[in-house]
Amino acid sequence: MEFNAFFLNFLTGLQLGAIYALIALGLTLIFGTLGVVNFAHGALYMIAAYAAVLISRSMGFTYAIFIVPALLFLVGLLMERGLIRWFYDRPHTDQILVTFGLAIVIEEALKWIFGANNIPFALPSWGSGQVLFYGLGATVPEAIPGLRIPMPGIEGFTFFPFWRLLLIGVSAIVVLGLFVLLQFTRFGLVVRAGMRDPQMVSHLGINVTQKFAIVFGLAAAIAGVAGVFGGPVTQVSPTVGLAYLVPSFLVVVIGGMGSLLGALVAAVLLGMASAFTTGFAALAVDPFMKGFLTALQQIVVYLVAVVVLLVRPRGLFGKKGVFE
Amino acid sequence: MSAVMEAERPAAAPAGEAFVRLKDVESYYGESYIVQGVTFDVKEGEIVALLGRNGAGKTSTLKTIARAHEPHLTAGEIWLGDQAVHKMRDWQAARAGIQLVPEDRRIIGGLTVEENLILAQTAEPVGWPVDRIYQLFPRLGERRRQEATTMSGGEQQMLAVGRALARDIKLLLLDEPYEGLAPTIVEEIEKAMFEIKGLGITTIIVEQNAVAALRIADSAVILDMGSVAYRGTAKEVLDNEELRNEYLAI
Ligand SMILES: Nc1ncnc2c1ncn2[C@@H]1O[C@H](COP(=O)(O)OP(=O)(O)O)[C@@H](O)[C@H]1O
Ligand SMILES: [Mg+2]
Repeated sequence: MEFNAFFLNFLTGLQLGAIYALIALGLTLIFGTLGVVNFAHGALYMIAAYAAVLISRSMGFTYAIFIVPALLFLVGLLMERGLIRWFYDRPHTDQILVTFGLAIVIEEALKWIFGANNIPFALPSWGSGQVLFYGLGATVPEAIPGLRIPMPGIEGFTFFPFWRLLLIGVSAIVVLGLFVLLQFTRFGLVVRAGMRDPQMVSHLGINVTQKFAIVFGLAAAIAGVAGVFGGPVTQVSPTVGLAYLVPSFLVVVIGGMGSLLGALVAAVLLGMASAFTTGFAALAVDPFMKGFLTALQQIVVYLVAVVVLLVRPRGLFGKKGVFE
Repeated sequence: MSAVMEAERPAAAPAGEAFVRLKDVESYYGESYIVQGVTFDVKEGEIVALLGRNGAGKTSTLKTIARAHEPHLTAGEIWLGDQAVHKMRDWQAARAGIQLVPEDRRIIGGLTVEENLILAQTAEPVGWPVDRIYQLFPRLGERRRQEATTMSGGEQQMLAVGRALARDIKLLLLDEPYEGLAPTIVEEIEKAMFEIKGLGITTIIVEQNAVAALRIADSAVILDMGSVAYRGTAKEVLDNEELRNEYLAI
């Protein structure tokens, strides 16, 4: 694979990883605090994407950027306070049933309201177009519009969609913001401590349950950001929730249940595995190899999961005994 | 029932007005009935040694008073002044001024010494500032940036006591503060205990080492099989050999 193709596959891997990461961070945050695997998290992503379409059609995309995450925060809070909290003392199977059931209800409701097909999510005018990457000493025709970024190693020049690059940037900002919140604020201190020992934190006068409800809202808000910026890329249909829940859940398991760093690393790992398999499939000339790689493309994330979990059942950064 | 118990039975509260009152307190771990109707009073500023054999229910009683998730209170009343602790959740009891220092210390991992103290000062009412805690335990000040669970057992016990003092305490519940510690460390912590005693904080102290507990305590409660077998002064327990043989094995 030449460097140009490698570079584009790398960016595609990052972009896929960015969406996985945004959904998986919320999943792992909820698991780490409340001990619940929220199988409705993909549905939250989907609600966000639909809300973003509606808001950007009626008011403009800029409004969607602010309204959708806030809306999802409330939806998350409502979901936790209204439904999921009643299941904390119940067996894991009950928790899975209730969150999975909720996901199906949301999926069917969206199908009922908006139909089973994709609904188009138009990019805002400022978000369309391509970014041009050019190598050292390359001559780029003046006529080509858009952003230009120098990239040593590139031969001549090549393009990558601006929106997908933006998605990577937004995801990085969210990750950084979450890190700062958890590591450098009083709220973050309480959440980190609460993940370790909720009973002792309660004995210090802190209403841990309430803080964890806010964490749930926050996780939903992050899914909201993913829906706004990821919607135009992943498409907006009633099946997209489950389609992204599954790899995101794998990300959480591979990274180690409850580990934020693990989720981040695993998201990029799965994104890369997926992007490069597709990239090699496109390059393959031998028909058998091409067929093999095309098939592999469908299952590569599962394959990575199987290999990682065989070698390290607790996941990359998981704690012993949490999920083993 | 032993003759000793019958003779000493009138489990009279010490003279003076009760500040902490436990009335027929019962609690369960799941289906297991553990605290089986505990009744005793504590005066304001009094230090009570809660004694009894291993498994008598001392830890469970403290946890019940602090309204821990487990064991859960099913019957009886717990009063702190005029506040009904039996109607509170764990964090509400803590805000009312009840501070548990658990036997396994429960220092929070992944946090520095100072973060553990700051965490304790998150909810009102807040007690000592961090610097005053470092004055009491200089070792903690030296290790303020160290991950707290990497410290020695004695240092962690100091942090557990310091963390309690970081809150404004009305009732301190100490569960085996000297357990498993070297004699020099015990001395250091005992010194802090006497300093706390000087502040007049009402305290219930559980200790396997009954003699050590009775050195600091004004009075004693002896638990047996989840209920109160004896209530009296510290001196009475120390002087009564039969009582010590029966319930304390000292
Ligand atoms: N988490 C628990 N679940 C069930 N039973 C428990 C638990 N903790 C303690 N017990 C039981 O409760 C009784 C009292 O224990 P505990 O309060 O720890 O006694 P002590 O502190 O006086 O040694 C014991 O019989 C013990 O086995
Ligand atoms: Mg005990």
